[in-house]
Amino acid sequence: MTSFSYLELCMDCTRKAVGLGAEWCDVAAGTGRDIAVSIEKSGIKTADAGQGEDVGIRVFIRGGMGYASVSGRDPRDIDEAVRRAVALAKEATPDPDFKRLPAPDPAPEVEGLFDDSVAGMSVEDVVRIAVANIEAGKALEPEVNLSGHVGLSVGEGALASSTGVAMETRGTDIFADIEALVKHGADTGFFYDFDFGRRLADCRLDAVAASAVRGARRFLGARRIKSGRMALVLGPLASYGFLGGVVAAANAESIQRGRSYLCGKFGEKIASPLLTVVDNGLVPRGVRSGAHDGEGTRRRPLTVIDRGVLVSLLHNSYTAGKACTESTGHGTHAGGISPTNLRPALGTRPASDILREVKEGIYLESGELRADPASGDVSVSIDFGFLIRNGELVHPVESAMIGGNIFDLLARLDAVSSDAREEPGILMPTLRIQDVQIAGAE
Amino acid sequence: MHDLARHLCDLAKQRGAAFADVRILHRRSESILVQDGRADKLAAYADRGIGVRVLVGRCWGFASADSLERSRGEQCVQDALALARASEEFVSDPAMIADAAPVVAEDRREPQIPNGAMPVKEKIARLLEYEHRGRAVGGDAIVNSIVNYSDGIREEVLANSAGTLVRTASARAVTTCMFVATDGQILQRGTEHRGILGGAELLRQVQPDDYSVRAAEKALALLKARPAPAGRFTVIFHPSITGLLVHEALGHNAEADGVWAGQSILEGRLGEMLAPETVSIYDDSTIEGAFGSYAYDSEGTPSRRRPIIEKGRLVGYLHSLETAAKFKASPTGSGRAESYDCRPIVRMSNTFMERGAAAPEEMLRGVDRGIYLMDGHWGYVFVQKGQFICHAGQARMIEHGQLGDALRDVSISSMTLDTLKKIDAVGSDFEMKMPGMCGKEGQSAPTDCGGPHVRVGDVVVGGHAAQ
Repeated sequence: MTSFSYLELCMDCTRKAVGLGAEWCDVAAGTGRDIAVSIEKSGIKTADAGQGEDVGIRVFIRGGMGYASVSGRDPRDIDEAVRRAVALAKEATPDPDFKRLPAPDPAPEVEGLFDDSVAGMSVEDVVRIAVANIEAGKALEPEVNLSGHVGLSVGEGALASSTGVAMETRGTDIFADIEALVKHGADTGFFYDFDFGRRLADCRLDAVAASAVRGARRFLGARRIKSGRMALVLGPLASYGFLGGVVAAANAESIQRGRSYLCGKFGEKIASPLLTVVDNGLVPRGVRSGAHDGEGTRRRPLTVIDRGVLVSLLHNSYTAGKACTESTGHGTHAGGISPTNLRPALGTRPASDILREVKEGIYLESGELRADPASGDVSVSIDFGFLIRNGELVHPVESAMIGGNIFDLLARLDAVSSDAREEPGILMPTLRIQDVQIAGAE
Repeated sequence: MHDLARHLCDLAKQRGAAFADVRILHRRSESILVQDGRADKLAAYADRGIGVRVLVGRCWGFASADSLERSRGEQCVQDALALARASEEFVSDPAMIADAAPVVAEDRREPQIPNGAMPVKEKIARLLEYEHRGRAVGGDAIVNSIVNYSDGIREEVLANSAGTLVRTASARAVTTCMFVATDGQILQRGTEHRGILGGAELLRQVQPDDYSVRAAEKALALLKARPAPAGRFTVIFHPSITGLLVHEALGHNAEADGVWAGQSILEGRLGEMLAPETVSIYDDSTIEGAFGSYAYDSEGTPSRRRPIIEKGRLVGYLHSLETAAKFKASPTGSGRAESYDCRPIVRMSNTFMERGAAAPEEMLRGVDRGIYLMDGHWGYVFVQKGQFICHAGQARMIEHGQLGDALRDVSISSMTLDTLKKIDAVGSDFEMKMPGMCGKEGQSAPTDCGGPHVRVGDVVVGGHAAQ
């Protein structure tokens, strides 16, 4: 990594902002290096590399917020950004709900977020992973059309604030995401898979294409289905999106502002008692892990839903101050709120048992099952789904949709699997929801 | 900056590139978020840098740096060449570039109100006025209101090893608003978006009655709407939904990079009748002031109007320099890069269906039971499968040829080729008010889309209850 001190840069910008009139200020700065190799038509398409630095300055004056970001490390550009952030904060409307930025709360960094073996990889190494995927995919299905990316990023950064926060972080990420398109005559099967992690040893990057090809084959022979009410089984990828949407709705700002379907639900039962979801940003090697959030608040595991009851909201320093509570460590530097690693509590029976009990239903392998953030209404397409009959996946479905309301879906959840797909930091079980409205085209 | 761009192209060529292009970009923008009566968050963004793309043998290499220093640019050339060479032996589909005539041009599209000329205070006052007028419609029923505005300029120098040197400057401004209303039981929201190729004059052009008041009225109307039924229906698309149809369902499939990669349902269908003769669909980046317009694309190709479907027949794809070479077609000026650190890829601009002859009110006739879909929110597409999804913020039942009950927001899902064939009426009206950022391969591009009212027989509607 570089010998340049981003922490000193952040502290210097903070001092300058305070000198210009900032009452509160925090500054984040860092650098990142990326390599990405793209795959197209089952061959290498291009290799890209980029290196960038950026500085973000956040200033509060009488609670009004000004923010400026700038790329590169030109001192004139950075000084101008500091001045602009202060000037914008002076123009913002004073906000008495803003209380304070977080005080320093040092903690050791979460283990396993930086991997020398990723940081030391060359473009040739990344190309080799891409080629291994292409070969493995074609070995299974010679005519498969593979596309996607294999890449890595290596970053380091710092955060300093006028309250005395001064911290440095570094991290690595590596990923492969590959789509497979299989054509048998006029029939088309399409699916994807991915793997990612902070450390090379946590991934099986060369196995992604084979998994995508197997998935694509399963989606050959899609057929239309009749409309009706039936069970909906969410596979691991679908359940991750579904629960991620519910946890994102527990954003304290959306609730304080009165625009979330979870308004007025704090402490209330919102789901089946089978559902417990923990947000944990401290999981070693987790893709969304870090000892602190983007504002410097120390993270801690947070149970968001406990046996169906909404027991916590996700706070940053602003919403916590407004609610006279503690930040939960979900703040971003630009002022937002973001979940970290989701870890639902697992059930007692394997996914295979849960599926076997379904007489008629839909198995949603992957796809967005998200509600309107205000009304909670759900109206989504079954992008990657199968018809279930007598416990078996009969065929993939096309032109079918799911309709309903998020609270009905959460209440009708009647099974969480004991087994789950696990990615670094994240758990994805299988869920089953009874009596869901499906619209079909037959 | 153009000297540096030319120097880097020459250097790449000297060191073995068959083709090279260099983009030097500088962007500046500011945004204001007004929420619940206060200017909450004010922000400024600036970035600049160099992107170098080289073609070596059969492979592309691309490298970027967030600096305009000559030495960093030269390092990018070095890195891009090394990246291409490291990958070349594994290329199965050799890279190509069209033998286009060099373009030397400069185009500066100055906004009517230059960037920074309207004081922040004046912008805030206008946004607060929008918000106040919207809130006044709903009174205490409005529980949250947000009005967002941003404007910015983009200056770009593009040079390539064939002799092209294009300098452009353009400005864009966009505003969005959202009002959330409650009846004490449920929450509903209404949104509106406006955007132009221009500057802060947008705030003078957009009037509250046609913007924030409409958004607030939508939220209030949705409180009284009932959930949509589920199943197959004849539907009438409002122009905003027609816009989503032509952008998501057809436009992405007409991007020639996807067609070449075997990932489009339009592969091998040039010349085929895909829709009734009443249907013509274009992508046009020359429309004055439209949010998706530009003078030259990120490869230096002049902007133009691109026919995709004319009188029902598929007549063309959207091309970059690379796809034009592969298809032996003319570049269409559709190679766009979001920033200096992105390769140009094939993108849409302003995509629309041309107006037809049917009076919109006549379309209701003969529809015994159907749904009128309005207020296009979002959509997405799986080009590989030919499946698309559109989300309507509002809808109305159609019963016996008459508009009936108001319905809540609802999505539809269908197959592109089926849907185009089932268009049985194209309206004589036209509207294109869907400015937004289209995402593809991690890059976003400003686009707009629209068209007339359109009637489609038999579409799956994802409602809450059985018909």
